[in-house]
Amino acid sequence: MVQKKDTSEKLNALFGLKVGNISTQLEEIGREFFCSSNKLMDEEEVTDLSSEFLHLMTGLLSSAEPQRRTSPQFHALEVFFSGLAQRMLMRGGHVEDVVRYAQNLQYSLIAALEADSGITFTQSRSVLMFFAQHFDELIMAIFRTYLLERENTLQAQEEELRETSTPIAEIWDGVLTLPIIGTLDSSRTMLVMEALLNRIARDRARAVVMDLTGVKNIDSQVSHHLIQMVRAVQLMGADAIITGIHPEIARALVSLNIDLSGVTTRASLSDGLKEAFSRMGIHVTQTAG
Amino acid sequence: MTIAGVHLTRIGKGNFLLEPLRGLNILDQDQLMSQIAAHVQQARGGHLYYDLNDLPVIDPLYFSWLDKLARTCLTLNIKMTCINMQPTAAFTVSQFLVKNPSFETALGVPD
Repeated sequence: MVQKKDTSEKLNALFGLKVGNISTQLEEIGREFFCSSNKLMDEEEVTDLSSEFLHLMTGLLSSAEPQRRTSPQFHALEVFFSGLAQRMLMRGGHVEDVVRYAQNLQYSLIAALEADSGITFTQSRSVLMFFAQHFDELIMAIFRTYLLERENTLQAQEEELRETSTPIAEIWDGVLTLPIIGTLDSSRTMLVMEALLNRIARDRARAVVMDLTGVKNIDSQVSHHLIQMVRAVQLMGADAIITGIHPEIARALVSLNIDLSGVTTRASLSDGLKEAFSRMGIHVTQTAG
Repeated sequence: MTIAGVHLTRIGKGNFLLEPLRGLNILDQDQLMSQIAAHVQQARGGHLYYDLNDLPVIDPLYFSWLDKLARTCLTLNIKMTCINMQPTAAFTVSQFLVKNPSFETALGVPD
């Protein structure tokens, strides 16, 4: 404990002595990683970044327990690196840049202090350990931010893909079409169902044509969901028409003992639309000329 | 004639609109079914519209009540149509529905 305190006091004294010089070196590292070819930051921003880092590091070293990685001062440093990682990723930077920046800060910090103080830090295991442990934790914070950002991006892309793969369109007053493309799984079927039912209520739709031309595979669970979707549409008072069922899917539905007796099916989307129009008493005729 | 828990209105020749109120007790369904069916039959009604607008969820118990009421009406040659079913209610019913219900469904009362 006494040794730890001595170490931090020693470091704090070193920081207090040569802050100006260290600041310049830290800025250079920032410029190398963020201002060179990638142009992620401008000079002014790097200066601010370096002085903020130095301010936070000095705050940690002058705190009551600099070794404690649960202290508010250390948390502030974690937030600093998380925020930096988030900013760089949003600007199109790579996580490697931020990690290497953090590592170089650490090396530079040690080297600068070593040079200014005349103390050989390589002989002082406790000082090196102090920096290594703290910076390892800060690099972990950078990776956590990176993973979180990646996860958020993937989730957003997935949602976007879902929305675009199930476009519900009102093709005529009261007639909705739902072309389903790709593989239907349970979660997607539920999403489609939710969107479709809300749309029926909103548009007061009287007929829904669900086109399965783009669906190549269907399993037992999904076929049940499909029937549930048809039933839910009918319960809301709209007619459900399924079109474009592939022979393989028809065969699968039969072998799965799915009862399609209450479901109207038509060969193609065009036939389905004709059926919907016919039920609504709409006649589409070709005008002369 | 007053029926506890429901509001029954004549909305045209032979058509009745049933709006369930907060006080509707479906556990007392035998008496309720008799009263509703009798009221519609005495007025020579042929169509009963059951408004589900205020029901965000329909559980199996409530669905059973609707089905029984529809079957009671059918035996008296009164057609029952459930209208304004909410998307959430349609979703929940579709999860446990095993056969077609005895009532018809529509978006609303036809013009």
